[in-house]
Amino acid sequence: MKSKSDEELIELIVQNHRPALEELYDRYVKLIYSFSIKITKGDTEKTKEIVQQVFLRLWTTKRTYNPSQGQFVNWLLTITRNISIDLIRKEQKYKGTVQLELEEWQQIQGLQSDDVQQQVSRNLLKQQIQEAKRHLSEPQQRLINLLYWEGYSLSEIAELEQKPLGTIKSRLHQALKKLRNNFNGKIGGVRHGE
Amino acid sequence: MENKCDNLSLYIINELTNQDKKQFEDHLLKCAKCQQELKSIQETWQMLSYDVEETEVPESLKSEVMDFVFEENKFLKHEEKIETEPISFKERILSVAKRHFSPISTAVTAILIICLIGFYWNSLQLKDTIKSLENKAADPTQIVTTYSLTGQSLAASATGSAYLLQEGTETSLVIALNNMPITKGDEVYQVWLLKNGNRQSAGTLIPDQNGSGLITYRLPPEYSFEDIGVTLEPNPFNTQPQGQKVLGT
Repeated sequence: MKSKSDEELIELIVQNHRPALEELYDRYVKLIYSFSIKITKGDTEKTKEIVQQVFLRLWTTKRTYNPSQGQFVNWLLTITRNISIDLIRKEQKYKGTVQLELEEWQQIQGLQSDDVQQQVSRNLLKQQIQEAKRHLSEPQQRLINLLYWEGYSLSEIAELEQKPLGTIKSRLHQALKKLRNNFNGKIGGVRHGE
Repeated sequence: MENKCDNLSLYIINELTNQDKKQFEDHLLKCAKCQQELKSIQETWQMLSYDVEETEVPESLKSEVMDFVFEENKFLKHEEKIETEPISFKERILSVAKRHFSPISTAVTAILIICLIGFYWNSLQLKDTIKSLENKAADPTQIVTTYSLTGQSLAASATGSAYLLQEGTETSLVIALNNMPITKGDEVYQVWLLKNGNRQSAGTLIPDQNGSGLITYRLPPEYSFEDIGVTLEPNPFNTQPQGQKVLGT
């Protein structure tokens, strides 16, 4: 089981093969757990709930995974984030719905498996993204944090920040571009023109 | 066009309405700049998920997660089965009963249902009885066949009619005779039913002073005959005719 690729494990899962799910658990639980505990701000009960839902989603998936669709781990993290945000929003009684599984797969389409993230360890990735974030202005950092980790929508953020929605949209665009440029620059990837 | 390119970030964070999303996807096919940007910014957006401190996972979590997944999944499968697989009526009723009723209320419900079926059955029976009574009452006596009897020899002027009557399952023969010569002494007129040369007595009669007489004879079940004959018998209770024939079909 340990010698199998993520792709092979997903195929086995679609055929209701329990040890395959357990193997994926062993491979990715630490990342999912770490992610969830950050998004729940250290709430271990909520974290457990998220991890359970993620693996339930994995077990009930009807779609096999093809490496050309992008990295499996990114799909897993997209699911984890969507489930987490859904939980947070339910508790905060925010409006909004989670994305469907199909959209989660679509979101990672086009990303090649030889992408940068595979070439470096998670720990290095973390350092790179934290370094890239330091180049953001304080309002840009706050925006990314509220949007990505707190699950606020752009219009909610506009309200919180007491700024027009247009300003927040353009702030997001600038923040993402700046992150991208600094991130790629650090690890020697191709720098895209602004 | 520039405006459309601005939607790139909103597309990545999935905050476009369905219509705007569709429009952006159409735009994406034509805009090389957006295609290139999409890939790299999407990657960056996903990189954000690595901005976490590695945390030790509790050892007990694995069994909790697996229990949850397989228990939950069993439940989902069960629901799916109920929704998709054709199951027997009985199973469906049992499953509905199981989900909605406690054992006591199920028992009470069952008893009520049995009583209800009992009442319904009873009422059906009653309905049948009433219907058959109605039928019986309403069933008019029907004349199945009429016969005309002609007098001969000493009763040449006599006339007669016979009616075969059907009343429910019973068949009766009614014979009415007129202008019959008055009988003397023990003499009686006797009616015979003829079949294949055999004669069966259908009763005797003594006409009134006007020469009229009526006799009703209930036929044995499944009995049929070909002809009717009337004889003048010297005494009643004959099983075979001794006197002469005076009337016949």
